[in-house]
Amino acid sequence: MTARLVMDPNPSVMHAGETVGKAVKIIMEHRYRNLPVVDENGHYLGVFGINTLLRLVLPPAVVVEKGLTTAPFVTDTLADLRHRLASVEEVSILDFINDDATVVYPDTPLVETLLVLYRTRTSVPVVEGEARRLVGMISYWDVGAHILEQEV
Amino acid sequence: MHGQGEAHAAQVIFGWDPLWFAGILFVITYALIMSEKINRAIVATSAAAIMVLAGVITEQKAVHGVDFNTIGLLTGMMIIVAITRRSGVFQYLAVWAAKKVDARPWGILVMLVVVTALLSALLDNVTTVLLIAPVTLLITEALGVKAYPYLFAEILASNIGGSATLIGDPPNIMIGSAVGLSFNDFIVHLAPAAVIVMLATMVPIYLIWGRHLKASDESRQRVMNYKERDAISDPVLLVKSLSVLALVILGFALAHFIGKQPSTIALSGAALLLLLDNLGRKSSKQTEQVHATFCEVEWVTIFFFIGLFVVVHGLESTGLLTMLAEEILNLTGGDMSVTAMAILWGSAIASAVVDNIPFVATTIPLIKSMAPTFGGAEALMPLWWSLALGACLGGNGSLVGASANLIVAGFAERARQPIGFMAFTLAAFPLMLFSILISSVYIYLRYL
Repeated sequence: MTARLVMDPNPSVMHAGETVGKAVKIIMEHRYRNLPVVDENGHYLGVFGINTLLRLVLPPAVVVEKGLTTAPFVTDTLADLRHRLASVEEVSILDFINDDATVVYPDTPLVETLLVLYRTRTSVPVVEGEARRLVGMISYWDVGAHILEQEV
Repeated sequence: MHGQGEAHAAQVIFGWDPLWFAGILFVITYALIMSEKINRAIVATSAAAIMVLAGVITEQKAVHGVDFNTIGLLTGMMIIVAITRRSGVFQYLAVWAAKKVDARPWGILVMLVVVTALLSALLDNVTTVLLIAPVTLLITEALGVKAYPYLFAEILASNIGGSATLIGDPPNIMIGSAVGLSFNDFIVHLAPAAVIVMLATMVPIYLIWGRHLKASDESRQRVMNYKERDAISDPVLLVKSLSVLALVILGFALAHFIGKQPSTIALSGAALLLLLDNLGRKSSKQTEQVHATFCEVEWVTIFFFIGLFVVVHGLESTGLLTMLAEEILNLTGGDMSVTAMAILWGSAIASAVVDNIPFVATTIPLIKSMAPTFGGAEALMPLWWSLALGACLGGNGSLVGASANLIVAGFAERARQPIGFMAFTLAAFPLMLFSILISSVYIYLRYL
């Protein structure tokens, strides 16, 4: 029993060079938590997720490392947030991907895979080989569906 | 620092000459600290261990060499700041200052410089810039102006403000402790110089950046909409921490009269604030809270100091620093004015390119051994003020000149507003030389 069993082998992916605007559209349409980003050879580069979107609409001072831990005095409106997002819509997603996200491998044991899912609280990319070719994604829903099918 | 350069008959392993052994070990230590390839606390503590294990100094002398007044003062203030910052008072202060000038870009720059300089005089520089830089980024983003001029000015303000008091910058803490100078001595002798240098530095900053800073009325209104009162996340903690901070500052001012060392005052304040912060909490919660507070103490800096004190004391005990002092006096002809200027300019240039903490740690015993030439310890005062001004202001010469500079640069880079090493140095080094020129005039007119 390994990660291969519960992964979606045909996930939606973004390609290097595509824009933030396109990623936003896909994430909002499909309610994705994390979109894997790959290069032209299908090698995994990182993830662009809903958390990245939140980072892009918040003031940089509160999301940057060692920035403000709280900002109750800031009175930004929805228009301010929209303005921030609009300013990066045409920028490549590569500027904002998280290339440090935890990944699992097709032969990662099932419990270890679920532990990663539990700890990261988001969809997890599955990569193989030293070149880290993306072979799938694992979401809560993929795992849930598999467990329920087995139960049934 | 303790002890004078008395050479003693050290038994160094393999019969090596203690003077050469300690000298070479010191040079290697310095080079490794400068290279930043290995964490500086590891370098300093390892070198200290080698000093003792090789037999250059005994364990007793190594412990005696550690200036626990400096260590206690640093630790105590770090604990007080760690607790105080949770109240949100520093964000309040920065936002309040920005709104006081109707969110005008140049006015905000001046106010943030004043806040940074004042906080740096009362707290350590690294803490100050860690508190002010994020608010600066927030305000400049709202204004739609580049953060660079603001962060640049804040770096300069932190080092200039830090030079004004005993507790503002580690070199001053070390000098004050080694020579027995009080908080008031620093205020009386260095604060006027710091004020003059700060005012003079603002002129070129205005000419280079200030006059070009513009923001729309809409952007300024965004800053004016900030509700600074909401920044205070814990009003009760605010009252407790500001009361303790005020008591500690008062204690520093009265330290000479009550016969207590600054470290005793800082650690007493830290203990009192820890007590007030934890009163009424369950014991398990207290443990958690105290642990979190102690985690905020910069132990890397503390252990760096401890190791360095042992290394320098080892070097001092071989008599090498006394020999070096004699050489310097030969070069300056034993003239007080020439020696003071040499120390001021030498320490400024050195502090711009190397860490000023090991430099000051080494220079203190060196200056002490000049006492007989100038007619006693009392006559050395111009040299101590020269060293303090040179070491603190010299930190403005480059990004690596002071820890606070690197902290701001790292923060700016993460915020995608990088401060380039060369761009910073090209503007900052001449300004640093300008500040040392002003300091030279100040030292000359007041003491020589």
